[in-house]
Amino acid sequence: MSRIRFDGLCKTYRGSVALDTIDLEVEPSTLTVFCGPPGSGKSVLMRVLIGLEPPSAGRILFDGEDITTLPAAARSIGYVPQSFALFPHMRVFDNLAYPLALQGAPRPEIRSRVQQAARMLRIEPLLGKRPSQLSGGEKQRAAIARGILKNANIFILDDPLVGLDFKLRESLMEDLKDMRAEIGATFLYLTADPLEALTMADHLVVMDGGHIVEAGPVDAMYYHPANLRTAELVGFPRCNILPGRMEAAGLVCSSAIGRFKVVLEDGSAASEVMLAIRPEDIAPAVPGVSPLAVGTVTLLENLGSETVIYVHSGDTTLVTTIPASANAVLDLGDPFPFMIRPGGPIVFDRATRRRIGRLAETPHG
Amino acid sequence: MSGRLSQGLYHAVLWLVALVFFAPVFWIVLSSFKTASQILAVPPLLVFRPTLANYARLFAQPAFEHHFFNSVVLSVLAVLIAVAVSFLAAFAFSRFRPGATNFLMFLLLSIRMLPGSAAILPVYLMYVAFGWKDSYIWMTLFYAMFSIPFSVWILKGFIDGVSPRFDETGIVNGASWLSIIARLTFPQVLPGVVAALIFNFIFVWNEFLFNYIIGGINTANIPVLLATNLSHGGGIDWTFLSSLTTVYILPPIIAVYFFQRFLLVGMTFGTVRGEV
Repeated sequence: MSRIRFDGLCKTYRGSVALDTIDLEVEPSTLTVFCGPPGSGKSVLMRVLIGLEPPSAGRILFDGEDITTLPAAARSIGYVPQSFALFPHMRVFDNLAYPLALQGAPRPEIRSRVQQAARMLRIEPLLGKRPSQLSGGEKQRAAIARGILKNANIFILDDPLVGLDFKLRESLMEDLKDMRAEIGATFLYLTADPLEALTMADHLVVMDGGHIVEAGPVDAMYYHPANLRTAELVGFPRCNILPGRMEAAGLVCSSAIGRFKVVLEDGSAASEVMLAIRPEDIAPAVPGVSPLAVGTVTLLENLGSETVIYVHSGDTTLVTTIPASANAVLDLGDPFPFMIRPGGPIVFDRATRRRIGRLAETPHG
Repeated sequence: MSGRLSQGLYHAVLWLVALVFFAPVFWIVLSSFKTASQILAVPPLLVFRPTLANYARLFAQPAFEHHFFNSVVLSVLAVLIAVAVSFLAAFAFSRFRPGATNFLMFLLLSIRMLPGSAAILPVYLMYVAFGWKDSYIWMTLFYAMFSIPFSVWILKGFIDGVSPRFDETGIVNGASWLSIIARLTFPQVLPGVVAALIFNFIFVWNEFLFNYIIGGINTANIPVLLATNLSHGGGIDWTFLSSLTTVYILPPIIAVYFFQRFLLVGMTFGTVRGEV
């Protein structure tokens, strides 16, 4: 199983930098999600990895072997592009046989290997159909089967669910997880959707502006982001980011919604900070306890199982969620007394965007 | 009720306009089965005893065979060459987007904005100077050259509608560009290819001016035959005109009839195309 390593990879297009010194190692047999806004460089990185474009500098290694100049066809990468790119004028069988036919494999071998791959992905009955007759999930499976027949053990899925309806996306994500367990290959998955990233990933790579902002296991990235940009990009609904200022003693942070005790990590002395407060770190105040602040409800979004609430408080709007069952009494313009869950929100240095600490367990300063 | 009435009226107008446009074709086809005096009868004869004598006389002329052959060879060869060249050019414009693609595409089409009568003199002088006049090869290449701009435009619209993800899937699996073009792109834009073939075929098939001036006895096509053999003993030879015209309009009519669904796609290309 190939371990992929990017070693100082750079890519420039006519002077503009698309990838800036990418150093990264991808664990074999994991699903690594590359998440970032459009233009963050994730697609360029994949195109270079696939071999569709040469890097301007740096190397790509599979198991320590330099494959930077290897042609795309010789890399053991299965490419599943946006919307799957099954050839509409060929039957599913010929779509799957395409890599083998190009290699000049003899007919009987093609037939038996296509059937084997189709059996593995449970699309055998579909071999005689046209791609337009397949459901979204069947298309995904056919596209992956085509990758398998190229002898790939790395699969790149370039935003495969973009533009599909919500229900289909959900079932395709489930399907892909099952498939991955069956195939056991390495999957690299590109998306701009934080919810998709959190649902799919073992490992997460957050990209922005041609850089890797942060990489690591998905839980760590969510609960302990080292970079403010990670907190901004990963999470749904989006994380609340508000400016704060460390007071002289260095242990209290004041912000638009109140003052908090902060536990700093060693060696940090920034005075201008940013607070990242996840929606779930904001909770309605318990009756009888004095709230941190009282905001006003400005917007309610019912997601079914929960309700997203936009609360205006102290010149800023916070986003939080409450279970739908608790929503019966809320209306636009209602007061919303709330608390911040101690220990949850994270403090970042405003200048360097690095994490410098977290709110203390005792709530108020 | 009023909706139905206006729709009926609408259909009646459509039929009327279609019939008015069809009337000259009808008249010429009908005339080809009449004798000379029947053609010139006033009021026009709608009921008469049809004769095949005009056709018998037409097919017996060696000139007919020669000119018909020229028309077929020139149009078919020129159009095939033009569409093959245009397909590769359109693919290059669509996929590799050379600098100033839009300007180049405009330049390409600008030759078709030139009236033929403005271009004919320099082209004639060039053909005479190079000794290309009245040659099959150079006549064919002239028509191919004239058909290329429009074909590139049509085909580029179609190729733009085919996602580059298909090309990349080909590259990843080791396909050459020629294999990608032939096996992945071409089959997906077949309606565009057929549309380009037919539009250009009709143009070359009907072309008179250039064939008359830079062609000659060897390469003259049917429009030239029609124009030059029209007069007969001081009058117009209506039986010759009507029977030759009827034979002459058959190939384009058959082509359009059988491929009209492609033509409709061709005329509206670029409007409704999604990625698959």
